[in-house]
Amino acid sequence: MALRLLVVEDDDHIRTALRWALEDEGYDVAEAGSGEEALQAVAVSAPDLMVVDLMLGAMDGVDVIRQVRRTLDLPIIVVSARADTSDIETALDAGADDYVTKPFAVKEITARLRALRRRVGPAAADHVDEVVLDRDPVAPLVLREARGTVHRGEEQLPLTLTEFRLLCELAAAPGRVFSRQALLERVWQHGFFGDERLVDVHVRRLRTKVERDPSAPRVVVTVRGLGYRLDLQ
Amino acid sequence: MRPGIRAPDLRRKGLRARIVLGYAAGTLLVSIVLVCVTFLLARSYLLDQREASLTRQAFADANVLDSRLATAGTEVGDVLDELVPSGGADVVLHSGDSWYSSSLDVGARDVPGDLRELVSTEPAASAVVDTADGPRLIVGVTLPSADVEFYELAPLTELQQVLSTLAAVLGAGALAATAAGTAFGVWAGRRAVQPLEQVAGAATRIAGGELATRLPATDDPDLVGIVASFNSMVDALAARIERDARFVGDVSHELRSPLTTLVTSVEVLGARREELSPRGREALGMVEGELTRFRRTLDDLLQLARLDGAAVRESAQPVCLATLVRQVLADSDRPAELLTVPGDADTTVRGDKTSLERAVRNLLDNADRHAGGPSAVAVERRDGAVLVTVDDAGPGVAPGDRERVFERFARGPRAARRSLPGAGLGLAIVAETAARHGGAAWCADGPEGGARFTLSVPAVPS
Repeated sequence: MALRLLVVEDDDHIRTALRWALEDEGYDVAEAGSGEEALQAVAVSAPDLMVVDLMLGAMDGVDVIRQVRRTLDLPIIVVSARADTSDIETALDAGADDYVTKPFAVKEITARLRALRRRVGPAAADHVDEVVLDRDPVAPLVLREARGTVHRGEEQLPLTLTEFRLLCELAAAPGRVFSRQALLERVWQHGFFGDERLVDVHVRRLRTKVERDPSAPRVVVTVRGLGYRLDLQ
Repeated sequence: MRPGIRAPDLRRKGLRARIVLGYAAGTLLVSIVLVCVTFLLARSYLLDQREASLTRQAFADANVLDSRLATAGTEVGDVLDELVPSGGADVVLHSGDSWYSSSLDVGARDVPGDLRELVSTEPAASAVVDTADGPRLIVGVTLPSADVEFYELAPLTELQQVLSTLAAVLGAGALAATAAGTAFGVWAGRRAVQPLEQVAGAATRIAGGELATRLPATDDPDLVGIVASFNSMVDALAARIERDARFVGDVSHELRSPLTTLVTSVEVLGARREELSPRGREALGMVEGELTRFRRTLDDLLQLARLDGAAVRESAQPVCLATLVRQVLADSDRPAELLTVPGDADTTVRGDKTSLERAVRNLLDNADRHAGGPSAVAVERRDGAVLVTVDDAGPGVAPGDRERVFERFARGPRAARRSLPGAGLGLAIVAETAARHGGAAWCADGPEGGARFTLSVPAVPS
């Protein structure tokens, strides 16, 4: 069955052309011309993937992403006219997984979508089922990779797919330092010139969910000038 | 003195030298005046004192003489021997038609005529005379009862010694004051020039792209105006640069939406290539080609707008240029053997990875466009900089064109042909990127006859 993809874009021409091109790639495409329409479409049809333009009108793309992220874990790609602005960072902070800059080739979007849809990273193939990341006696932090869950005590943490995969990559070799570059290649399948802000923003978001004190992280640790490392507690 | 010639001479000496000279000349003049006045006042005071005491002594001695002469039968010469004036003074007197003297050193010749005239009318008179053994003060009084002119002569050598010591002390004082004035002038000159040096430093930093540079606020009333107008000038300049950059950004942004529609629609068309007639397919190919070119030009314009916006410093991070070049070669499907890194040197620089990558890619594209591709690429460290050189085996660049090729929208002679893609912004981006990183880009003859383009970026000290 074809994946359902929602295109949120206020420019009619771009939206239509994008729908044609994505349908050519085999997606089942729905359209939304504004933020409000987008939220409605999400509520009605629960898409598998979203492509969201940042500049929308009254309710902008960042608001849409924030709203959607409250209930759904689905890959969201942001489409922006400018890559060098803080909008991108805001959108990533709100929960977007990746971004492309206008004008783009549709192949770029589909490649990103495929990367984001991969359930299990290659490094995790021969991995044990359960890893205790934090041996807190009251509320241990437990990663169950095959099941796709992370628990803090009894509570299941609401990680997005990208955050989950980031955590799995780091947990594949606890204590080892991963450069931003390496994480970009493994989680997002970006090349050498990918945007390292993606990693930083996602690590920040991951910490707010898994760390007991996100301002003093102990599980996902920054190694200055090198990258990130996961420490078992 | 010809001021028409002297004045520009002085001006050429510079502000600081003029301030120093001014202070030195001023203190010298003031101290000379003070020294002269002090010396003259002291001299006349001391002379007056001496004269007063000598006059008193002369009256006293004259009275003694008078009372002796009143005794009948006393000779003037005898009385003179009895008189022993104090302070080494000698006595000369004129009685009747004869001159008498208490010492052989002095005599009638030492009494000036005009003094004698004065003495005949006044009770006492004085003068300074030169005698055989130095200057002497002479005071004369008359004893009308005995018809005697009585002169007392006191040597002035002691006074002269005091005065010459005083002159030496005052002269030394004047010299010291002048030296102090000069030193103060040096300090004041430095103080006066300091704000100018601050302005010069700020201007240099601004020219280097640090548009946030401002002069620190000051409460010096003489400088407030300069600082305010300098800062507002920089504000205006920064606002203008920002506006220009924003304009290019806005224009490019407005072009992006239609371009996105075009690119996407053409992709949809491309997927249906088989449904088109041969002529339609040809036209589609042309549209695809032109779209690619359009996209590149727009990207280049945006990149230039970004570089003009001077944001490179904010995103600066350590970048290994050898790795970067290797990656660009791989990404553009070029053989990795093109690259040589002599001695595996540390080729790390601080910079913006994306714009450096763009610059390297543009150098390679430039070789493609004008010389059939690069023949050799090298990354090496030399004199505190990392150099990326791209050689080609093409026709080379004429020496007269080597600066011009780095200008915006400059295109090589062969680029006049429509088939060559690119709007001539590639090398401008290289030059701008180099400048933003504090480096340089240039073009020279290649070792194999073609051209050698070099991008130089300051290395991170190892």
